[in-house]
Amino acid sequence: MNEVAIVFSAEIMRKLRSRVFIVATLLGIFAIAALSYAPRMIEGMIRSSTDNIVLAGPAQLRERAATLMQERKDFRVIASVDHLPPYVTAKYLDGLHAAAGIAIAVEGGRLHLDIYPRDLAAFNDVQFRSLVPLNEELATGVPASRFAAASRIERSVHPIDAKFADAGSATFAHGIAFGLIFILYLAIIMGSQGMMAAVAEEKTSRIAEILVATISPVSLLTGKVLAAATLALAQVGIWLASGLLLSPLALSGLERNATSVAAVAAPTIQPTEIIAFVLFFLLGYLEFSIVNAAAASLVSRTEDLGSISAPLLMPVIGAFLIAQFAIVQPNAPWVVAFSFTPFISPFVMFTRIAVTAVPLWQMALAVGVNALTVAIAFYAAGKIYRVGMLLYGKLPSPKQIIATLRA
Amino acid sequence: MLVVDHVKRSFGSIKAVRDIGFTCPAGTVFGLLGPNGAGKTTMMRMILGIFPPDSGTITWQGRPIDRNARRRFGYLPEERGLYGKMRVLDHIVYFGRLHGLDEFDARDRAVVWLKTLGLEGNEKRACGELSKGNQQKVQLACAILHEPDLLILDEPFSGLDPVNAEVILDCIRLLASRGTTLLLSSHQMWQIESACSAFTIIGAGEVRAAGTLAELRAGFPTRPVRVVPDLPAIRAAFAACGAPEPHVDAGGALVYDLPVDADFGRLLRYAVAAGPLETFQREEPSLNAIYMRALGTRETAA
Repeated sequence: MNEVAIVFSAEIMRKLRSRVFIVATLLGIFAIAALSYAPRMIEGMIRSSTDNIVLAGPAQLRERAATLMQERKDFRVIASVDHLPPYVTAKYLDGLHAAAGIAIAVEGGRLHLDIYPRDLAAFNDVQFRSLVPLNEELATGVPASRFAAASRIERSVHPIDAKFADAGSATFAHGIAFGLIFILYLAIIMGSQGMMAAVAEEKTSRIAEILVATISPVSLLTGKVLAAATLALAQVGIWLASGLLLSPLALSGLERNATSVAAVAAPTIQPTEIIAFVLFFLLGYLEFSIVNAAAASLVSRTEDLGSISAPLLMPVIGAFLIAQFAIVQPNAPWVVAFSFTPFISPFVMFTRIAVTAVPLWQMALAVGVNALTVAIAFYAAGKIYRVGMLLYGKLPSPKQIIATLRA
Repeated sequence: MLVVDHVKRSFGSIKAVRDIGFTCPAGTVFGLLGPNGAGKTTMMRMILGIFPPDSGTITWQGRPIDRNARRRFGYLPEERGLYGKMRVLDHIVYFGRLHGLDEFDARDRAVVWLKTLGLEGNEKRACGELSKGNQQKVQLACAILHEPDLLILDEPFSGLDPVNAEVILDCIRLLASRGTTLLLSSHQMWQIESACSAFTIIGAGEVRAAGTLAELRAGFPTRPVRVVPDLPAIRAAFAACGAPEPHVDAGGALVYDLPVDADFGRLLRYAVAAGPLETFQREEPSLNAIYMRALGTRETAA
């Protein structure tokens, strides 16, 4: 077994046995479970706080209005009364678990609503769009059903991008792109800290000297970084799998509509996207981990890590922000250019692959550029690592670092 | 055979190794002595390829040291380091594997060495839970598990109690008997004197003295003579023969530092004639004395 494989397996075993890794993985699963159930809980909370109304008015008008409102799910009429009290109070609404009292009437041949909300900001015109056909009927005498039919514009969406067959799939892809690059962002942020701490520990415990006397620093660095990337990917895989398992259970209780979360559960993730995610996750994670490991080898005390980690995180944050633009403008020239830029490419190219049809040559070029970056980073970091791990005292100057790289 | 030939190494403006050369014959235990900052650790790191010399050559068995040769080396650095949370057995096996052993072989050997070093029963304990002395023994086990051709020990006795130091010393003798070449540095002169068959003393990055203990003694210009009791008549007799002023050691004996070609028989006769002589002992110079003279100081070694 070669040196890299030995370091790799030892690092994997060391981390798998550490409580931190196990606890972090379990906490992630709990967090995903909580997030999976969050929409249901939030929907319940929002509905109970803004959708429940007490409707008052003439019985026939009241019933027609209630039917229209509930068909569009704008409101849930939880109490229907002839008249509201002369003074509607919060106590009255609380007693009925309602967000507002609405008195409906016809004045001057049109609908008139008197609204008594607990929260003045909770109601807007859009919520009352379901009553528009009834209003038109009262004004013109034409049945509301005809207005309702006439108000719907039949539309056909014809995809010009071969990537998606319908709007739901495209929306789903946007969500997936955002979710996965957010996971990559989190993994790199967390992994960077872990990698820097591990390297600093090896340096401060002086075990590094024995290691670099035994095997090449590049092999040592490669084994460590590959193990960290593999475990990070495995951890993300466990979290995503638990999310997929928990989501249907969580979504089963939701009242769905055309744009709700449930609607986007129907499309599936393509194998190309899974491969692209794994590939760009590993390349991105490796690029940042290598740089962080080399940088950590230059500090003498773990307390100094903070001063060098902040500047190293800036490209990660920048790449994440650029990827947000890539979701909506995947083929803008500057976005395409960033999809071939080392360190930023893993975020941007994966996003483009998720939301648009990227030519194969562009994918291959991005993989090539990043693979080359990883190779160069390993070579340069190995040199810095060899010197840095035996360097104690003040941080080396940029001139010294450049001299080390040239050696 | 390890041959170091006119090796130099600087770090910026600091010349850590100015010009060092020595030959360490295969199968010997070789002592590299020198004060702090003399360049011993830098020299050892260059042999191990941690960094290259600026000039000069280092060869092992007649060839420049490459990665394959280096895998057959073992190293115990001055600064100790272990993965605190890793189990003792796993730690030793890991280093054995890095030196080319397979998992099962490394495990079997580790069990044997743990027993030899008096660490049996600690296999599953975390390294960080062990005492300093035991951690040092674990590190030694890591360095020797693959039965290296060349074992480099930088201050192997530092911080050890006499019992643990003796365990390490036994280990060194065992490895030497099995054919391992050992290069070690230490400030504990009596231990290194009993362990090594040849020495190189370096100071300020240069060789100050080299050879076997017998060769170093042969080149030493004086011999100490211990005389008891401390009587004025005996002092007068020595003074009459031209001996320098003696110093009195901790036991009250007079110690004369006399030229190697002094007429010791004549001195003995004068001393006997001067009074009731109890002890007249001509001694060989200690390694400590040779070391001090080579470095041009009379301070006692640390």
